Amino acid sequence: MNTFSLKKLFFFEKTPLNLLMAVLTVGLLAAFFAGVANYILHGHHAYNVTRQHPWGLLISMYVFFVVSSTGLCIISSIGHVFGIKEFQQIGKRAIAGAIITISSGFAVIAFEIGHPVTMMIYNVLTPGLTSAIWWMGTLYGLYLTFICLEFFFLAVKEHHTLSKIFGICGLLVGLAAHSNLGAVFGFLVSRPSANGVFYPVYFILSAMITGCYLIFLMYGFRYKMNFPDKVQVMLVKLSKILGMLLAVLIFFEIWKILTALYGDMPERAATILHAVQHPNFWLGELTLGMLIPFTVILLSNAQAIKATVYASILGMVGIFFMRYGLVHDTLLYPMTTLKRAEYELAPTFVEYFPSITEFAIGLGGIGLSLFLYYIADKVFNLDETEGAHH
Amino acid sequence: MARYGMALNYKSCINCRACESACKEENGVLLLKDHYRIWVGVKEAEGEFPNISIASQTYHPSQCQHCSNAPCQMVCPTNATYYGTDGMVMVDPVKCILCTYCINACPYDARYVDQRTMTVDKCTFCSDTRLAAGETTTACQATCPTKVRVFGDLDDPKSEISQLLANKEYRQVKEHLGTKPKLFYIV
Repeated sequence: MNTFSLKKLFFFEKTPLNLLMAVLTVGLLAAFFAGVANYILHGHHAYNVTRQHPWGLLISMYVFFVVSSTGLCIISSIGHVFGIKEFQQIGKRAIAGAIITISSGFAVIAFEIGHPVTMMIYNVLTPGLTSAIWWMGTLYGLYLTFICLEFFFLAVKEHHTLSKIFGICGLLVGLAAHSNLGAVFGFLVSRPSANGVFYPVYFILSAMITGCYLIFLMYGFRYKMNFPDKVQVMLVKLSKILGMLLAVLIFFEIWKILTALYGDMPERAATILHAVQHPNFWLGELTLGMLIPFTVILLSNAQAIKATVYASILGMVGIFFMRYGLVHDTLLYPMTTLKRAEYELAPTFVEYFPSITEFAIGLGGIGLSLFLYYIADKVFNLDETEGAHH
Repeated sequence: MARYGMALNYKSCINCRACESACKEENGVLLLKDHYRIWVGVKEAEGEFPNISIASQTYHPSQCQHCSNAPCQMVCPTNATYYGTDGMVMVDPVKCILCTYCINACPYDARYVDQRTMTVDKCTFCSDTRLAAGETTTACQATCPTKVRVFGDLDDPKSEISQLLANKEYRQVKEHLGTKPKLFYIV
């Protein structure tokens, strides 16, 4: 831990990039609290969710944050748990990021769940063991405990064995929790476009990709693009891993779409066809989230680290659309049970656009993450301690 | 212990929607857009003028199917959705955390957020209003002018519903999902 004072805490070098990040952080943080205030005043009326579209942007952002957390945990485990030497340096920074992102996710979901206190009580008193949400929530609580302990033994009271033990526990529980989050959607028998094995598996894969993007962003910012040799070597290797993961993801997506469209199965084919024609998919999820970063890595043979850092910004924007699409596309098809023309209107694909309050809380969560990361970077030494690994 | 279900002679439905009004009145359902426990769907007439098939225009009264294998019950993280003693799918507002997972999971769009209690509400076959007071019919059934609805105990072979189902052909909605619904549409 570093010694710190309030003066130190708010002192930073006034470079244009630092100032931009400071303004962005403060702006998003203000949006978060403004959104929360509006939610406290108006409750769920402040959101644009409806009976036909009960989940919206806040669920997407929760998934966005916990995917980021799990991804950072998995990528950090390459060095910290599996002992690959070049990756040991990212341990502390990645685990700090994992704790921060999942905390932001919990902060966002607290304003989506109608009764979070009731949840904590009855999750324990009358657990719904057949519910993927119960398993996901419970395992994520455990996961947060493990990674906090891991971080404690990495950065506060250095103890290699204990940090590794908690690292392994965090990784395993995190994987279980995250695939259960996929199952929250995959188990929906009422939604043929989401139902099946795809999401629980794809969630792990997309988490690893998100983790890679975030490592690139954190290191790009940490070293202001002037990477020491040791970091450069690690990032080139990480870039190769990211390229391979993106190739697998593109392969997965192609087969998911083809399988959904093939045979024109009722509800499923029409939903996926509608979803892939929307710019959120082909521009956001596909082009920004997968193709641009993949092309940068492929054309540079994974050597263009600076370009990959910039591509990671686009990648994270793409990941946002990926999470938004996950929720929205699942709920696209109207449940037209014998309601061929409910109240004289022919049923169409369900429409949804987030309200200002939803944007404020959801995107404001990013401000929360940036702020906590800034504090963590000041309070702890997130770089590799010399001689910490043997 | 009974196992309640409902048969619907849907071809007798005249789309007067008295059932919707009676349900709201009896159960205090708010008069808001998304607030309804039951509804009447309209299947519009098929064909182009002048060859319009009058017979193809039908009305489909519907509501919670009180599934024996209810997806909404399975996904509830706190068991707020539970099976009542008479096989009905019920919600305990005290335990409901308003995660709305059940609304996503229900294949019948039978659930909605009640703005009074801020919990998820649904059809209860009037169990806490009429059945608790000793009545044997639901509000939607009692008010129906063409006697579309027949409510009763599926385990009692002498009940009207059991007799009807024994003698008439019927179909169910989305039964391929394995939900085992307890609403029967007489064809």
